[in-house]
Order: sequence, then structure tokens, then C-alpha cells
Amino acid sequence: MRPSRLLVPVVAAAASLALLAGCTAGGSDAPRGGSDATVTVGLVLEPSDLDVRTTSGIALDQVLIDNVYQGLVGRTQDNEIVDVLASEHTISADGLTYTFTLQDGVTFHDGAAMTAADVVWSLQQVADDESLAGHADLASVAHISSPADDTVVLTLSQPDSALLFALTGRAGLVLEQAATNDLSTTANGTGPFTLASWTQGDSLRLERFDDYWGEAAGVAGVVFRYVTDGSAAINATLSGDLDVQTAVDATLASQFDGVDGISVEKGQTTDKYTLAFNNAVAPFTDPRVRQAIRMAVDNDALIAAVGGSAVDQGGPIPELDPGYEDLTDVDAYDPDQAKQLLAEAGHADDLDLTLEYANFYPAAIGDVLTTQLADVGVTLTVQQVDFTTWLNDVLAPPADGGTRDFQLSMVNHAETHDFSNWADPTYYWGYDSAPVQQLYAESLAATDPEVAASKLAEAARIVSEDAPAEWLYTATTLTAVRDGVTGFPTSSTSTRLDLSALAVSE
Amino acid sequence: MTRFLLGRTALFALGLVVASVLIFATLRLLPGDVAQSIAGTTGSPAQVAALREQLGLDRPIAAQYLDWAGGLLRLDLGESLVTGSPVAGEIAEKLGVTLPLAGLSLVFGLLIGVPAGVWAAARHRRPAGLVVGVGSQLLAAVPAVWLGMLLIALFAVTLGWLPTQGWPLDGWQDPGRALRSLVLPALTIGIIEGAVLLRFTRSAAIGALDQDYVRAAAAKGMTLDRALLRHGLPNVMLSVVSVLGLQVVGLVVGAVVVEQLFTLPGLGRMLVTDVGRRDLTKVQGELMTLTAIVLFVGLLVDVAHRRLDPRLREVER
Repeated sequence: MRPSRLLVPVVAAAASLALLAGCTAGGSDAPRGGSDATVTVGLVLEPSDLDVRTTSGIALDQVLIDNVYQGLVGRTQDNEIVDVLASEHTISADGLTYTFTLQDGVTFHDGAAMTAADVVWSLQQVADDESLAGHADLASVAHISSPADDTVVLTLSQPDSALLFALTGRAGLVLEQAATNDLSTTANGTGPFTLASWTQGDSLRLERFDDYWGEAAGVAGVVFRYVTDGSAAINATLSGDLDVQTAVDATLASQFDGVDGISVEKGQTTDKYTLAFNNAVAPFTDPRVRQAIRMAVDNDALIAAVGGSAVDQGGPIPELDPGYEDLTDVDAYDPDQAKQLLAEAGHADDLDLTLEYANFYPAAIGDVLTTQLADVGVTLTVQQVDFTTWLNDVLAPPADGGTRDFQLSMVNHAETHDFSNWADPTYYWGYDSAPVQQLYAESLAATDPEVAASKLAEAARIVSEDAPAEWLYTATTLTAVRDGVTGFPTSSTSTRLDLSALAVSE
Repeated sequence: MTRFLLGRTALFALGLVVASVLIFATLRLLPGDVAQSIAGTTGSPAQVAALREQLGLDRPIAAQYLDWAGGLLRLDLGESLVTGSPVAGEIAEKLGVTLPLAGLSLVFGLLIGVPAGVWAAARHRRPAGLVVGVGSQLLAAVPAVWLGMLLIALFAVTLGWLPTQGWPLDGWQDPGRALRSLVLPALTIGIIEGAVLLRFTRSAAIGALDQDYVRAAAAKGMTLDRALLRHGLPNVMLSVVSVLGLQVVGLVVGAVVVEQLFTLPGLGRMLVTDVGRRDLTKVQGELMTLTAIVLFVGLLVDVAHRRLDPRLREVER
């Protein structure tokens, strides 16, 4: 091995690599403007599978519903219900008959025309098969039929004020009865975009559907990139690899300050960061302990620690959902009162508690809570575990049917319209309140949406006063958008992302 | 040589069998299962139970192992518990990213470690050589995530020469972009691995400095650098080759971290995701593939060592 022979290939290899990097440098294409543009969007959580029928989780709703799959009705980013595949809908005065008139000229991505039979079949499948996502939402539906080619009628066994909103989600999606595509990796919907490709662990690509029944999408394509690391995502946006970045980490958002060509937008969410107590076990069976912990939490300090991008909510219903009212005055921050309640309950300075939560949530939450609870004499031990471990330890009911074996849990309940969990005594926090269950049933039975909402508000206040959990904060989401990109939603971006209005200026 | 090869291959096979048992058993200790992961926070307990039965998770552990191990013998790694797609196909696809990444990292590592090691050895009593020696100790201890972020900040964000993260949509059909996506990740692993190689090369070369053949060459009028390169290097390379077998493990661990940081759709990133989802059939397939690669490289290194080192060859004859 003579040095000259060794050195030549080494130098050649190094030179060619440098050359290659140099030649293609600057290859991150700025988006071309106008209708030919492709917009690259950074997301965080990737779906495990694309089957909208069986795979739960908002990561799938986020990319596919509205863009690829549609239902008779849909919702805006602010949770208002709008007609989509139905041109109009009516609800009978007794709340038992829902009549939908179908849009004309709707075609699936494979070219087949959408018929009333497809709609009936799609809904019937969810209603019949309990393993499908959204099945429980259709519990009140007794009969689904199509009396005319352009009409679908749902007949209910009892009024259900939650049904129409549920139809904006998984339960109401319309698929083609005759299609045979593999739902796990492909999609055949009616939306403004087709699913072009999915590289698991990297990206998912949508293309404009040229035969779309409504107004065509404003861009030729959208590429969703899944970047889990918060700093990596910001770097990608700063360097131009991403045109839009959703769910910007608020503690890092200052990196965009003073950067030309990128603006950061704020939007509301239903991301309820909930510190739940195991109400079924001691010491949480004592309401004084629960109230004391609620009073020991200084929500404003906690919000500051996670970057300031959140609001205090005080109860189980967020501002975007019906039944919201400001409940921050219930068990507000008061460490002295907390200490007194703990002393009355016989836990002066000797309460040891364990908090378990998933490791993708900020460690700062556990740190701040440890400090704040220490101020009232509670020693908190924090365990951050992976999400499936949390599901196993906290959410899953014990195999022997006994009580769950956890004390405190923290999770982001991101779903919208999910008050029903507080009316379900089998849910993991073990909260069993007859008045709340009664009010929730009355809310469902109400035929007037305003009555339904006021019943929910009444129930939410009782829940907050019973203190089965502390609602730490509701997140405000940050979206970084490159100049020239318009029509990108800013609210509820982790649950839905309707990109039909997305455009890039020339 | 034939006896040696047969013995070494048997050891390789035995290693795989032991690994399969260990991997299978260890993964069963993880709390939670794929049925819970699929159902998430919204699925009902009845849904979870139905999924468990459908996926065969309620069957006896021994039967599950035998099924899986039987498949391995037919080179069938089974199907993903989440998507139902064949595991072997998905691994092959991800290896298309991870193997080039590991290869390029190794090239960078060698390009950095070997020349700098020889250079530092020739100057090991002078300040410059000492600085390189101590510097390599420090560099070998740097976390890959931190080094990767520094490289991104410099080459991608400030200078804009290379992408911050990601993999081209067309993959290797766009070879220029694919290679560009790999440069920074490979450099991250390569610098750290190179620092380790540097230390081994340096100490091997310092040993060679005292050898008669190097001193003789220097006495004939060669410069010390040239004598080391020409006469010392073949001996130095022997110890570098032995270290390479161990370095492969470092490359694999590096790939898991670096693929996450640079959002590369490779085996390491898939592994992290699949463990999180408890897609154990896939995790088993991925770990078996990695184990097989590491064991196979070990086998190659042993064989190469025997070929390269004349002393070992003579024993054979």
C-alpha cells in the first residue's frame, strides 16, 4: 500500500463529494407562485396507518379529512358546522329525522360518480361494525335510507344533539362502495386533493384533484413533512425547507423574531392539558385534597414556563366548543387556602404523590408542578414514560376489574366536543357524578342547540367545582408561514387542516 | 482456512438464534401492547380486546415465538401488526437510506481518522500532535445530537449549502438530492466515529514508530511521515480493521439518533416509531436485521484479518 496509491482515491473522493455538494447547492426550491405551486408543510405527529375506518387518532384526521375524504357536513377551523357533500340539510322539529340533499356532480378520485347508495353504505358500515372509528357516535341512528337519488335520511331512535357534529368527523365520511383499494396505504375520497404518496417516517404528498366538484384547490400540491424535533423544524423553516410549520414550540418561537419573510400566527385549539386525579383511590376520594391541589397550581406561572402560548380555562370545555364559560374563578390559585385544606384533610406536609405522563409533553410541566406543589407541602415524583406505557398504566382498565393503579396523570385531551368523558364513570379518572350524567343526557336529548349548550355549561361548572382534575391550560397554537403563502388555517391545526383555500402569490 | 470459515459461520448462526430469543423475550417486558396503541385515547376497552384477539396477542408466548422463528427460517419476517404490510419489504426500503448513510459515515470516519491519526502519531511529542490527540478524546465523547445541531446551524441555516433535514420525495431516483440529504447526517456520525478511529490509528502508529523497519527507512533518508505511510501503514491498518467491527455498532446507534434529528426515513427512525407503537413483529424484524448486519460484519472482519495478517496465515499452513 504505497502512499501515492492510497492518497489518489481519497483525494478524488473528497473532491467529488465537495463538487457534488457545491453543484447542487441552493437546491431548496422557493415555492413557485400561482396555481402550479407546491407547498411544503411541517407537521409533528405522523399517522401509523391511513385507514380512516379503523385507525384512531387526530394525526389522520388532520391530513386526510377535508382534503381527501369528505362527509355530508364538515366543520370550519373554528368548529362551525357547514354543508359539504350535502348541499343542504334539515332537522325535523322533534329532532328525529335528518334529511340531507346531496351535491350534484360529486366524483370520487377514481372517477366514479358519488351516489346516494355510497352515502348510505358508508354510514351503515360505521353504524353496524363496532370496531370502526366513530361507531359510538351513531348509536342514536336507527335507520339510514335514500328515498330519492339526491336525498339521504337518517332516522333516530331518540334526539341526539351531538350527532350533526359527529358527522363532521369519522362517522360521516363518504367512501365508494365499489372501490377495492387498500385503505391502509391509499385513499379514494371526494376532496379537493388526491393522496399521491406516503413515505412512512418522512412525508405524505397530496395533489390537486382536477375533477373536484367544488372550487379547485389553489395549489398544485401539498407535501406534509413529519419533523418531530422542535428545533429541527425551526431550522427547516428558517432555511426554506418548509413553507409552513404548524405547532411551533413556543419556547423556541423567538428564533423567528425579526426574520424577514416569515410570520408567526396564533390560533385557538381544543388542546386541553389536563392534570387528572385518580378519583377512585385515596387520597383523591377526599374532595379537600383535590381542591387543594387545584389551588396549589399557579396556571399563569406554568403557562409562562411552557412559552406563554396558552390560556387558562378552569374547566373541562374549551372556548371553541359549545357550553364554554370562563371557570378560572373556581379553585383559583391560593396556596394558603390549599395548605389549610390539606391540613384539614390530615395531610399537613406529609403527602407524597406520583405524576405519570407521556415523554413527548414538555418536561417543564412536571418541573413546575413539583415546585408549586412543594410550596403547599406535597412531594411530587414525576415519571415521564412513552405514550403506550401511559396508555397501559393509566388509561387501560385493569384486567381484574379493580381500580386503576395511578395517582396523577397529565395528558393533552386534544379532541373537540369530548365532554362525554366526564359523564362516563368508567373513564380513567374514575369520576362518577349523577347530576353531571343527568345533565349530559339532557343536553343530548335537547332539540335546540342553545339548550344543549346551556346544559353542557351547567354540567361543566359542576365538574369544575367537584375538582376531579386540574385543567392546567388550553394551548394556543403557533403557525409559522412564509410570506406569499395565504389561506393556511391557524386554529385547531392539530385536529383538522382544510387546505382548499391555500394559495401562493405569483 | 475452510475449517476456520465453517467454525466462524456456525458461530454466526448460533449468534442469530440466541439474539432471536433475547429480542423476542425482552420486547415482551415492555408495558402496554399494540392493541392499546392502535385504540389510543378514544377506543373502548371492548375495541382493545377485539383487536388483541384479531392480532393473536392473546395466544401463548411460546406459540407466538415458534411462529415467528419458523418464519425467520424461511426468511419471512411476518407482517406489521399496525399496517399489515410485510415487514421484510419495509425494512428493505428503509435500508435504502440507512445503509448508504452508514457507508458514507464510515468513509468520512476513515477519511478523518486514519490520516489525522498517522499525522498526530508522527508528531506525538510535539504540541500539534498532542492537541490532535486530546482533541480526538473530546470529540469522541460529544453527543451526536449536539454535533448534528451545530453542523445544521453552520452548513444549512447560516451558509445554506445543504438541507437542514428531510429526504427527497423521489428518493434515490433523484441521486444528487438524496446524497446531499445524507452529507450532514453522515458527517455527524463520521466525525464522532472518526475521532474514535483517530485514537486507535494514532496509538497503533506510535507503536509502529519504534519498529525497526520504520527506523531503518528513516535512517535511509526517508522523512518520518513518508516512512510511516509506506512501511508503518499496512501494520496500522490491521488494527484499524479490527476496530471497524466494533465501529459498526457505533454506526447503527448513531443512525438511530441522527435519522431522528435529520428526519431521514431509515431503519433507525422506523425502529423508534415502532417501539413507541408496540408493533413488535416489526421491531423484532428490525432488530434481527441489525443484529445480522453487525454479526456479519464481525465475520467479515475476522476473515479479512486472517487474509491481511501474514502471521495468522502462516499458522494455518
